[in-house]
Amino acid sequence: MSDESTGQNGLPSKKVLGLFALAMINVAAVLSIRNFPSMAVYGWSCIGWYIMGAVMFLIPISLAGAELATGWPEGGGVYAWVKQAFGEKGGFTALFCEWSNNLVWFPTVLSFIASTLAFALTPALANNPWYMFSVMMIAFWGTTAIAYFGEEASTKFGNVGVILGSIIPAVLIIMLGVWWMGSGQAIVLPPLTLEAMMPTINFSTLPFFATIVLLFAGMEMAGFHALETRNPQKDFPRAMALSAVIIVVCTVLATLAIAMVIPANQLNLASGVMQAIEYFFKAAGVPWLVAPMAVLITLGGVVSLAAWLIGPAKGLGIVAEEGNMPPLFDRTNKYGAPVAVLVIQAIIGSLVSLLYVFLPSVNQAYWILSAMTVELLCIVYVLVFASVIKLRYSQPNTPRPFKIPGGMIGIWLVGGLGIFGTAFAFIVGLMPPSYFTTSGLVYVGSVLLGTFLLAVPPLVFLKFKKASWLKPAGGER
Amino acid sequence: MSTYSRLEIGLLILLIMVVLLPFVLVLGIAEASPYYQITGEPVNDAAIVTGITVASVKDSTWNLPGATGGKTYVLTDKAGETVIVSTQSFDSAASRDAAVRSYNAQPVGRGKPVGSLVVLGQHLVYVTPANSDILKTLAPELKKRVSP
Repeated sequence: MSDESTGQNGLPSKKVLGLFALAMINVAAVLSIRNFPSMAVYGWSCIGWYIMGAVMFLIPISLAGAELATGWPEGGGVYAWVKQAFGEKGGFTALFCEWSNNLVWFPTVLSFIASTLAFALTPALANNPWYMFSVMMIAFWGTTAIAYFGEEASTKFGNVGVILGSIIPAVLIIMLGVWWMGSGQAIVLPPLTLEAMMPTINFSTLPFFATIVLLFAGMEMAGFHALETRNPQKDFPRAMALSAVIIVVCTVLATLAIAMVIPANQLNLASGVMQAIEYFFKAAGVPWLVAPMAVLITLGGVVSLAAWLIGPAKGLGIVAEEGNMPPLFDRTNKYGAPVAVLVIQAIIGSLVSLLYVFLPSVNQAYWILSAMTVELLCIVYVLVFASVIKLRYSQPNTPRPFKIPGGMIGIWLVGGLGIFGTAFAFIVGLMPPSYFTTSGLVYVGSVLLGTFLLAVPPLVFLKFKKASWLKPAGGER
Repeated sequence: MSTYSRLEIGLLILLIMVVLLPFVLVLGIAEASPYYQITGEPVNDAAIVTGITVASVKDSTWNLPGATGGKTYVLTDKAGETVIVSTQSFDSAASRDAAVRSYNAQPVGRGKPVGSLVVLGQHLVYVTPANSDILKTLAPELKKRVSP
């Protein structure tokens, strides 16, 4: 059952989201089976890395997101929050960075979806660019079509998909790990000690440290759905807490389960998640589960895609409705979906995917592009953490049903940790890997120029902004 | 039904161009890695030339279509740093590039993939960690083998 009220655009806005649905949006955006084998290679020290990621990012962003979402439960997520603190320029830039970093990420997640599905069918299909591109486009445009049918359809798909595609596979891996230990099979990890849990941090592992900071990126995703939330003040903090617990428990336990069963030298990171899953399930005596698992993980990839595809697009729809983008961008359909933004996003994403699949030897190029995604996300999060601090000073009396505890010390500690972690990740993100045929200067210049280009369009839109771009009350032009 | 002004259309085109520009630039700047046959064992040969110690070497075949086998080396230097380097050769450019795509499709969270993947002719060389003095030392020797 759904409530209906008038949204900020004057159009009816269905209040379909409760605690569970909000939490599942975050779980879909953050929980990824892809991370497990990559982290399992670190053995017990993955616990230390996860703790570091939780302390420097997951806990700060969950607390900051909860305070901002309950204090300013408006549509637009990071846009609404940063706009309150730093005005339209800041809010629009934060949102646009979140949206444009997706354009680099889309081909990778789509490629993951296609190659994982190929594993369930015939693995050799992954070598065929036409197969890859076809499946990628079906997944991309299919997810866009689900978003077209509005929040209710997206929520139903997301809820079912995240349980089937993310939570069940993670729980299955954990259960097999428990069975492995209980049945007296050999555990490939050395005995657990405090020292074994400590991550090695030195110059060589600095880039990985930056990766760890953004391991839990996406916890702010539920904030984009504030207008469709029945009781944002009450449900946002609880959804943040619930999703953080599900994500941490599933991630840590499933990673350890894999690390206990598969020797580190067999966890060949270049060869993929499904190869690790296959090894794991064969070792556990359930090889018949590999193909169904591939299908479930494929679904998990699609649900993750949907969460990131819909959230920032909704935010851009709100920006357009507020008159910061031309009317061309604020087209919504009868389901309330920002159809113009979704279509533009799908067209650009398809073009980038085309380059990704059909241009040969894109290895170094894609490394630079993934560095840009890190930089763009860091800009978003620095602005969010700075906003939560600034708003305590600029709007101290705005009611916040959830407040970061500890007064000003608490807010500086949480916001400061978040800013430190993401700013550090930004700087480290500029370090080229030791082997690069392109010179270091060209690498840094490319990453910075690309980041600038992907972050600057809001300033262009605001420069040309016209009063006539604002959607009149009632939603009709 | 409203019609769109030249400004709106212009801004839409500008948006698409600006957003696509970094992709075109980066794809243009980054050097391509053509597929060709390299004889010998490039990592082992580079380690010998640069004085890096090969602590152990094992045969390995990645579970990927088109992978035809390779080696996993444990390399150490005089400072005591250790890296694991895994090489794998592929039977075609298509299978090698599919493996590259697979690697790039596995970032940790929203970051980058773990380690570093180097393309050398028919080989893929996977090194973890991505930034190490050993890889820095090996890089000039490995680069000599890039481009036929």
